[in-house]
Amino acid sequence: MLAPTDPMIDIVDLCKRFTKGKETITIFDGLNLAIPNGDFVAVMGPSGSGKTTLLNLLGGIDRSDAGAIAVAGERLDRLSESELSRWRASHIGFIFQFYNLMPMLTAAQNVELPLLLTRLGRKERRERVETALGVVGLADRVKHYPKEMSGGQQQRVAIARAIVSDPALLLCDEPTGDLDRTTADEVLSILQVLNRDLGKTIVMVTHDPAAAQYAKRSLHLDKGHFIEKELAA
Amino acid sequence: MRSIILQILAVTAINLKSLPQRLWLSLATVIAVGLVVTVLLAFLSMANGFRRTIADSGAEDIAVLLRSGAVSEINSVVLRDQVRLIEDGPGIAKGPDGKPQTSGELYLTVNGIKRSTGTKASLPLRGLGPQGPGLRRGVVITAGRMFNPGSNEIIVGRALGREFEGFELGQTVTFNNTRWTVVGIFAADGSVFESEIWADLPVLQSLFKRAGAVQTVRARLTSPAALETLRAYSDNDPRLKLDVMSEAAYFAQQASNTSDLIQKLGWPLAIAMAFGSLAGALNTMYSSVAARATEIATLRAIGFGGFSAFVGTLVESLILAAIGGVIGAAATYLVFDGFTASTMGASFSQVVFNFQLSPRLIGQGLLLALAVGLFGGLFPALRAARMPIVAGLYG
Amino acid sequence: MNDLVLIRKNLFRRKLRAILMMVSILIAFAIFGVLASFERAFNAGQDRATPDRLVVVNKINFTQPLPISYYNRVAAIDGVAQITHFSWFGGYYQEPRNFIAAFAVDPENWMKLRDSDFVFPPEARAAFIRDRTGVLVGARLMEKWGWKVGDHIPISSNIWSQRNGSHAWDFIIVGSFTARIPQADTSVMLMGYDYFNETRSFGKDLINWLTLRTTSVAANERVIDAIDGMFANSPYETTTDSEKAFNKAFAAQLGNIALIVELVVGAAFVTILMIVGNTMVMTVRERTREIGVLKTLGFSGGRILRMVLGESILLALLGGLPGLGVAFLLITRVRDSLMSFVPTLSLYPDIAAAAVGLMVVFGIITGLVPALNAMRLNIVTALGRS
Repeated sequence: MLAPTDPMIDIVDLCKRFTKGKETITIFDGLNLAIPNGDFVAVMGPSGSGKTTLLNLLGGIDRSDAGAIAVAGERLDRLSESELSRWRASHIGFIFQFYNLMPMLTAAQNVELPLLLTRLGRKERRERVETALGVVGLADRVKHYPKEMSGGQQQRVAIARAIVSDPALLLCDEPTGDLDRTTADEVLSILQVLNRDLGKTIVMVTHDPAAAQYAKRSLHLDKGHFIEKELAA
Repeated sequence: MRSIILQILAVTAINLKSLPQRLWLSLATVIAVGLVVTVLLAFLSMANGFRRTIADSGAEDIAVLLRSGAVSEINSVVLRDQVRLIEDGPGIAKGPDGKPQTSGELYLTVNGIKRSTGTKASLPLRGLGPQGPGLRRGVVITAGRMFNPGSNEIIVGRALGREFEGFELGQTVTFNNTRWTVVGIFAADGSVFESEIWADLPVLQSLFKRAGAVQTVRARLTSPAALETLRAYSDNDPRLKLDVMSEAAYFAQQASNTSDLIQKLGWPLAIAMAFGSLAGALNTMYSSVAARATEIATLRAIGFGGFSAFVGTLVESLILAAIGGVIGAAATYLVFDGFTASTMGASFSQVVFNFQLSPRLIGQGLLLALAVGLFGGLFPALRAARMPIVAGLYG
Repeated sequence: MNDLVLIRKNLFRRKLRAILMMVSILIAFAIFGVLASFERAFNAGQDRATPDRLVVVNKINFTQPLPISYYNRVAAIDGVAQITHFSWFGGYYQEPRNFIAAFAVDPENWMKLRDSDFVFPPEARAAFIRDRTGVLVGARLMEKWGWKVGDHIPISSNIWSQRNGSHAWDFIIVGSFTARIPQADTSVMLMGYDYFNETRSFGKDLINWLTLRTTSVAANERVIDAIDGMFANSPYETTTDSEKAFNKAFAAQLGNIALIVELVVGAAFVTILMIVGNTMVMTVRERTREIGVLKTLGFSGGRILRMVLGESILLALLGGLPGLGVAFLLITRVRDSLMSFVPTLSLYPDIAAAAVGLMVVFGIITGLVPALNAMRLNIVTALGRS
C-alpha cells in the first residue's frame, strides 16, 4: 500500500541493453526517475531514445538488466513472470497508439476483458463496464464492433478498458498519434479528467508538443537521460 | 494475347516463389491429396487385380456345364449318364484321337493355413481326368511332375503355394484321413487355377464317396459361337437339366460380386476423403491469396488484369494437387502393386490375386487429384481476381 | 462474456476458414465411425461367441457333411451340456441374388442353445416345435422383406432340390425372434430338419455341423479330444473348435479387414491432422499482437495456453460430433443392403465414446504447438513497433 508521500514510480539506477545480432545498444545506463502519486507526466524525445522501452519497463512487460524499479510500492525487478501478470492486471492500464482492440468483440466485451481476471460476477462486471464506458462518454456504443467506430471512439473504448479495473497507474504510448486534432483533444481531455477527478497517475509518451500541454509536466529523454521542462499549470 | 500470357506468367511466378512462406501448409495439402489418391488406387488396384485374375481365367471357347440353378461349382452335381450325353453333344471339339475334348471334374474344399493370418482357410481341391489340364490355357509344370493316375499324388498351383503353408514340393498333406504327396507345382498363366490343388478324379471320387458323379463338365467348343448349339442341345433334352455357359461368362459372374464390392467401397471412401482434402486445399489457397494480397493489389494497380491473378492462383492450386497426385500414385505403385493377397471367392474357397495398378487407373487417380486442385483453387482464384485494389494495398 | 465466449469468437474470426476445417474434421470422423463400426460388426462373430460353445465340423472342410448319427453320439459324451445340429440350406427368395441365410435345425434344442442370444416369444417357440413346415424368421429379416407371422413363403435353394426336381420349398412363417444382445444376428431363418431331410432328393441324413455347450469352460479340452477321438479314422472325421476360433478364422478368410480399416482411418486422420494443425499455427501467428495485448492486460501465459487449446478442442468437437451423426445416418441407410455381409452393423456406443475421446486428443495435438507458442510469446516483440 502506498503512503500519500510515497512516489508512485521510483526508478533507481536503471540499466537496459538491447542486443541486435552482434551489436549491443545501451538504452539506459543508470537512469533515475521519481513520479509522485497523482502526477500526469508527458515523456518526449527523439525516436530511439527509449520512451517506449521506459513505458514497457514501468508496466512490467519488459525486464531491466540492472537497477531497481518500484511501481505502486512493488519492486518489479523482484517479481516473477506470473507475479508480474497478476500485478499488472490490478495496477496498470495500458493505452496504445493503435488502440489494439479485439476486432471480433463488441465495445462492451472489449472493456470487460480485464475483469475476466477478477472474481467478479456477471452482474458486477456489467456494472463496471457501463461505468467505464460512461466515463469516456460511449454509453450508447456498447454493442458496436471496432470496425463500426471511428478512431477516436475506438481509442475511448481502449481507455475504458484501461480503467475498468480501477488501476492506479495509466501508461499511454502515443495515444493520439493516429487521431486528428479535434479528436485528439477530446481524448486528451478525458485523460485529464481521469487524472484530476479520479486521481490516476498518468505517464504518457508522445512526440506531439500540443498533446504534452495536457500533462502537468513533461520529461525529455535524450540518449537515455532526462531533461525536465516544467509546463505552465 | 501475348500481354495476357506474360501477365499470367508473372503472377504465377510470384505465387510459386512465395510458396516457401506457406511451406508447411502447402505441404500438408500435397500430402492430403496424395493420401486420397493412394487410398483410391489401393482399392481400385485390389478390385482390378481380383477381377483380372478371375475374369482373365475364363476362356470364350471353353463351355462349363453345371446343374441347373447351381450358383457355383461346389453346389453342382452332374451324373455319369449326363456326362455321356454331353460328350455326344454338338459343337464340342474333337482331339487328335477323335475323342471329344471334355473333362468331368470334382470341386471340393479342403483346409489350409493362410500364411498372412495363420488361420484356417478353405482351399479348392479339384479332381480332374487326363483331359483336364489341356482345357486350360498355359498350364505347365514348373517343378516336379504331373501326378500319376490312381495314386494319392497332387499338384499344387504356384500361387496357392505362396499364400498357404505346407504345400511345398515333396510335402505330405492329409485330407480325409488319407495322406497325399505334393509331386508337382504348376503355373496356369496367372489365372485363378493357380490357386487350386489338383488330384486324380477317380481317386477323389472313391475317397469322397462320389462314385460316378462329377460336379462340372468342361468342354472345348469348336468355336465360341458353338455355345448356343450346345446349350440348345441341353435344354431340349429333359435328362440334361444343365446350365451351359462359357467359362469366361462363368468367371465373370464369380468375380463381379467381390470386385464390385471392393469398388463400391473404394470409390465412396476416396471421394469422402477427397472432400476432406478439398476443404484443406481451399484453406491453403485462401491463405495463399490473403498472404499475397499486397503483391496482387500492387500488380493490379500497375495495370495487370484480374484474369492473370485468377489464372495464377488456379495454377498454383493445380500444381500442388498434381504433385500430390503423382506422389500418391507412385506410393501406390511402390507399396501395393504386385502385392499378393488372397480372399474368399465364390464357393467359400480362397482365390489368390495380385493388386494390379494400370495406366488407366493411375489416370483416374490423377483426375481425382486435379479435381481437388480445381475446386480448391476456383473460389480463391475468383477472390484474388476481384479483390479491391485499395484493400489489398493498405491491408 | 467468459473464456468460452472468447474462445468461440477467436475460432470463428474467419468464418470460412473455421467451417472448412470443421468440414475436414467432420469427414474424418464420419469415416472413422463407419469403418470402425463395419470392422466391429464384421468381427462380431467372435464377440458373441461364448467360451463354452464349441463347433464340430468335418475335418476336411466345413463344407463337407457329417452323418446325423453323430448328433446323438456326441450328445452322450460326458461334458456336453446342450447340443444342436445345423444344415446349410443355401437359400434365396424369388431370385438367386436375394440371398437368405437359412438353416435346417432341430427346433427345440436349437432354441435352448440360442436362448442367451435371442428372445423367443412363447407362441413362436411352441409353434416352431409343433409345425413341421414352419420357419422361424429373425426380426431383421422379417423387416427387410415385410413378412408377417402366418405368411406362406417359397424359399429356393441353390444346392438342394426336392424329389420332384423343384428347388423351391413352401414354408409358413410361424414366428419371429429378436436379439437379446447387440451382436446377435436376427437376419437368419430356421426350418425344421425333419421336413427338410425327408423332402430333399439327395444328401439324406447328413448335416453340416454341430454346435454344443459344455458343462464348463474347463471341460472344453476334454470334450474336444473326446469328440475328435471318437470319429478319428472314420469316413467322416471331425474337427472340434471353440465357436470363437471358428468365427474368427471364417472372418479372416475374407482378408485382414481390421488392418485395412486401420490403414484407411489412419490415412484420413493424418491428413486432417496436418491440415488443421498447420492452420492452427497460422491462425495463432496472425494473432500475435492481440496475444501481446492480452498479456499486457494481465492474462498469464498459462491462461492463454488453455485458451488456445480450448479453441482447438472446440473445433475438433464441432467438426467431429456432426461427423459421428453422419456416420450414424450412413450406417442406418446401408444396414439392410449389407445385411448378408455384416448383419449386426450399427454405431455401437463404445465406438461413439471412443470417437469423442479421439476428438479431444485430436484437439490437443493440433493445438499444442500454437498454444505453447502463444504462451511463450514475448510481450514486447508481440506488440512490435507500430
